[in-house]
Amino acid sequence: MSQTDLSINTAATAGQVKPRRHSFFYAGRRDSPFKRLLIHAALWIACLIAVYPVLRILSVSLRPGNRLLSTDLAIIPANATLESYRIVLFEKPFLTWIWNSLSITVATALIGVILAATSAYAVSRHRFPGRSPMLVFLLTTQMIPSSMLIIPLYILAVQLNLVATYRGLVIAYAVTAVPFSIWILKGYYDTIPIDLEEAARIDGCSEIEAFLRILMPLSTPALAIVFLFNFTTAWNDYLLARVILGSKEELLTWPLGLQRLQAQFLTQWGQFSAASIMVAIPVMLLFLYTSKYLISGLTLGSVKG
Amino acid sequence: MITSEVITKSLSEVGTTVLFVLVGTILLEAVLYLILMRWLKYKYALAFMLIAPAVVGLIALVVYPLVWEFNLSLTNMSLRRFKNPSYIGFGNYIDVFTEPVLKQVGFFQLFGQTIAWTAINVFFHVTFGMILALLLNREMRGRGIYRMFLIVPWAVPQVIAVLAWRGEFHYELGFVNIVLQKIGIAPVQWLSEPVANFAAMCITNIWLGIPFMMVVLLGALQSISGEYYEAAEIDGANSWQKFWQVTMPLIRPVLTPVVILGTVWTFNNFNVPFFINQNELETSDILVTALFRAAFQYNQYGFSAAFAFINFGVLLAYSLIYLRLFGGLKGAYE
Amino acid sequence: MSKKWMPLVSILLIAVFVLAACAPAATPTEVPPTAVAQPTEQVVQPTEARTTPPPTQAPEAVKIVLWTKEGEADGGLQFVQSLADAYTKANPTVTFEVVNKDVETLREDFQTTSLAGNPPDLLWTVSDHAGPFTTADLIQPVDDMVDLTKFVESAVAAVQLNGKTWGVPISNGNHLMLLYNKDLVPNAPKDTDEMIQMAKAITKGDTYGLVFNQTEPFWLVPWLGGFGGKVFAADGVTPTLDTPEMVATLQFLHDLKYTEKILPKESDYNGADTLFKEGKAGMIINGDWSLADYQKTLGDKLGVAPLPVVKATGKYPAPYTSGVFFMIPKNLAGAKLDAVKSFIDFVTSEENQLNMVKTLKRLPALKTALQNELITKDPILAGSALQMTYGTPMPTVIEMRCNWDAMKPEMQAVLANQKTPEAAAKAMQPAAEACIKKLQ
Repeated sequence: MSQTDLSINTAATAGQVKPRRHSFFYAGRRDSPFKRLLIHAALWIACLIAVYPVLRILSVSLRPGNRLLSTDLAIIPANATLESYRIVLFEKPFLTWIWNSLSITVATALIGVILAATSAYAVSRHRFPGRSPMLVFLLTTQMIPSSMLIIPLYILAVQLNLVATYRGLVIAYAVTAVPFSIWILKGYYDTIPIDLEEAARIDGCSEIEAFLRILMPLSTPALAIVFLFNFTTAWNDYLLARVILGSKEELLTWPLGLQRLQAQFLTQWGQFSAASIMVAIPVMLLFLYTSKYLISGLTLGSVKG
Repeated sequence: MITSEVITKSLSEVGTTVLFVLVGTILLEAVLYLILMRWLKYKYALAFMLIAPAVVGLIALVVYPLVWEFNLSLTNMSLRRFKNPSYIGFGNYIDVFTEPVLKQVGFFQLFGQTIAWTAINVFFHVTFGMILALLLNREMRGRGIYRMFLIVPWAVPQVIAVLAWRGEFHYELGFVNIVLQKIGIAPVQWLSEPVANFAAMCITNIWLGIPFMMVVLLGALQSISGEYYEAAEIDGANSWQKFWQVTMPLIRPVLTPVVILGTVWTFNNFNVPFFINQNELETSDILVTALFRAAFQYNQYGFSAAFAFINFGVLLAYSLIYLRLFGGLKGAYE
Repeated sequence: MSKKWMPLVSILLIAVFVLAACAPAATPTEVPPTAVAQPTEQVVQPTEARTTPPPTQAPEAVKIVLWTKEGEADGGLQFVQSLADAYTKANPTVTFEVVNKDVETLREDFQTTSLAGNPPDLLWTVSDHAGPFTTADLIQPVDDMVDLTKFVESAVAAVQLNGKTWGVPISNGNHLMLLYNKDLVPNAPKDTDEMIQMAKAITKGDTYGLVFNQTEPFWLVPWLGGFGGKVFAADGVTPTLDTPEMVATLQFLHDLKYTEKILPKESDYNGADTLFKEGKAGMIINGDWSLADYQKTLGDKLGVAPLPVVKATGKYPAPYTSGVFFMIPKNLAGAKLDAVKSFIDFVTSEENQLNMVKTLKRLPALKTALQNELITKDPILAGSALQMTYGTPMPTVIEMRCNWDAMKPEMQAVLANQKTPEAAAKAMQPAAEACIKKLQ
């Protein structure tokens, strides 16, 4: 059974039928109870290590007074209070920050997915001149540290009148995420045989119709990854948002907002931690919900060598 | 609280953005359509039209700043020569290699520190990611719960996680030293001692990076058909051999690109070294953090631009090697 | 899945377009400030600024973008906003957009925006920004705009460079002093020997006699002054770090930790702050910005005193004093400049200076305000004012950054017992000199 056969098999079943389960959990069926116990113990320790620092943030957010550090190690501290949460939610424009971030992020993700899907299609299905250099160029853009771009991007934004608006920011995010998105989608498209589209063309579809009706539905997992990637790029960004939005209070996103809670020597740690927890939870839920797409999607595009 | 004005304002901002993008794209496509399809009747017209928006965006967002930075790297701009810097040719590039970058540490030491940082992190990411993936790739109860907890470091926004870890490395009140004391080891000065600080950076980044590797490798493992393992068992292979002869070769197409991308991302990771290094120890700086400090704390704009290009050059060389190994340029027809 | 996406996406897009059509098209430059509901601050209520401002000569509508380093945590931002609001009420043609930026962010962003050609209209920031901003030629001198003789000399001196004054002082201070918990330390020590004895008596278990931020050289310089040293030579730009006074200072700090054992092993700002708030530290060396917070936590138990006399030299330690200043960007002119000048006069009027004292517990820069009862009768503020008299203005030249950067790792090395004071002092000097050479 060659590599190619495996990939065609998987690609053809993608999005239509769940992959056969019997081959996956090959290991584990015949382990001794002792081995199973060890494995569970190891996983429990790993989970504890993974989650503990976040629990500590939670305890700072519940601690009365304004203290980052404490001699008390309990996760729920003595005199735990929800005061910090109350202040952040009702007295600071926290919900504004979240709403702004959400607006920008969803816009970015939509634009980014459309941009990447169309461009990846062109790169995968057409061997136009300049294709290889373009792919190399896309890759190299991943290697530029963002701190290098701040000043020239700001100057460009001022000249194009994009400062203190979302326009410049959304475009910047979508374009930043485009190279990785194109690579992932291209790799995924490459595993889907072109025969399906050619069959559709013979039946009378135009190229664009074949793209939308055949290829897109089959590439749902990869589109989900691209969506998530664009989402996290826009959601977590601080540097670009600071440069473009930094001076307009009502347009702040949550990283900028969180920074407001920080000052050189007067950081409001309780509020900062409460805000951090409230920002982290939706992201975690999003990840959990889409992780099944991530697992099936990330690999299906790359099994073919 | 949130008011309706705020909601309308941000929606209108987003709306104008989408409108702007749409109008811009339509204009661009119309122009290209007329030139390429109608006038020149170019074979690849559709392809170019499809990639045009992305390329235009990238040129504006990447090429323009790069050119601007290159121009800057040829000048001696700093605070003294803020408005009227003069051109000094490649002097900055020479200075990067010969002068101390910030206070005392020179380029080659920073480069060495960066390589050490990258190697250590990637090694542990892959190793522990693989171990966890192998453990999870089994039929057992609670798999979903384990996966849910183990993904947490990836899901928490990076800056928040890094600041939390920095608090934990506090000498007296952070839990790392408290745990060490409980098992009888002397507490470590994580923030003021150079080697300890470097280790603290690595520990934090390893914690952050394992989930991603684990998820990717788990997916790869799950796509391996059980028939391979059955065939190997018939041939008498034990677990160790099964791993190296069956598992590894089959996940290599996934492992290779993810390792290489992970290397690039670790090399350029700014948040972790910058924030964990609270006392600004130069021994804990890697290339990108030194670059940032040179530009914004020391205001050596020309110098740091040259430095940034050298950093970029190193990664560019690496990426070309990546392409040889991966052969990723092949498309649908190969 | 993608089939279900399409209708949702189209509905969303349509909704967005409809809203975009209804909302006024936002022109990029002149977005009128929407009245976003101001969060009411329950913690500190700024007193209403009641002075009638002098009549403005600016009949046309002007919007001033004011960047301030004051944050919300200590009520500073609210105070600035209340001043802006009061001024606008009396002069409706002038409106303000107050933006808060952290100190480093403010400096970086001001440089970036100046480079791109759209800086803000007014800065409310710390004195040491005068150095970088004058070197890059980004602000204008204020000698002709304001009567500077009504301000405390040391405050004005802090922003005098190249013979001109580059900022108008708002508050003075930012200095370190000795704060103590009266439960553990009933009276302030008069000299360092007494301080050490008192601290030793309390230090046991997890309680320490003395805590302070051991990572920043800002906490080293007062003692350097107490031993008779300075970081610059008389010309104000040549570093003098490798001196016997520096060695003595480093030795003193080292001994506090390793010989007298009254300091915690490792302590940064937050560590010291936490210990003091939890009642696990008898004395803390911290600045006037922390007074309001400690008063809230410790109430009457908080005592304030100048840093005690260094026994070996008989001198008072000299912490750096600096202030918060108005700075005006270089190209501001016309109606905006007039409005700014008038606003500055408004903020530095005696009534508003006293308001600031009441609200923020900071020492004013106006001489007459400093002599007011509000300060002389309040033990906390009086203690702070007393310490200020022993202080020395912080140098604001750009070379000072090199000194800070040179001292920081060496001070940390000495306190981590990794270097001797002599070796550390010896290493500081060339580091500062190399850094200064780079600035040329």
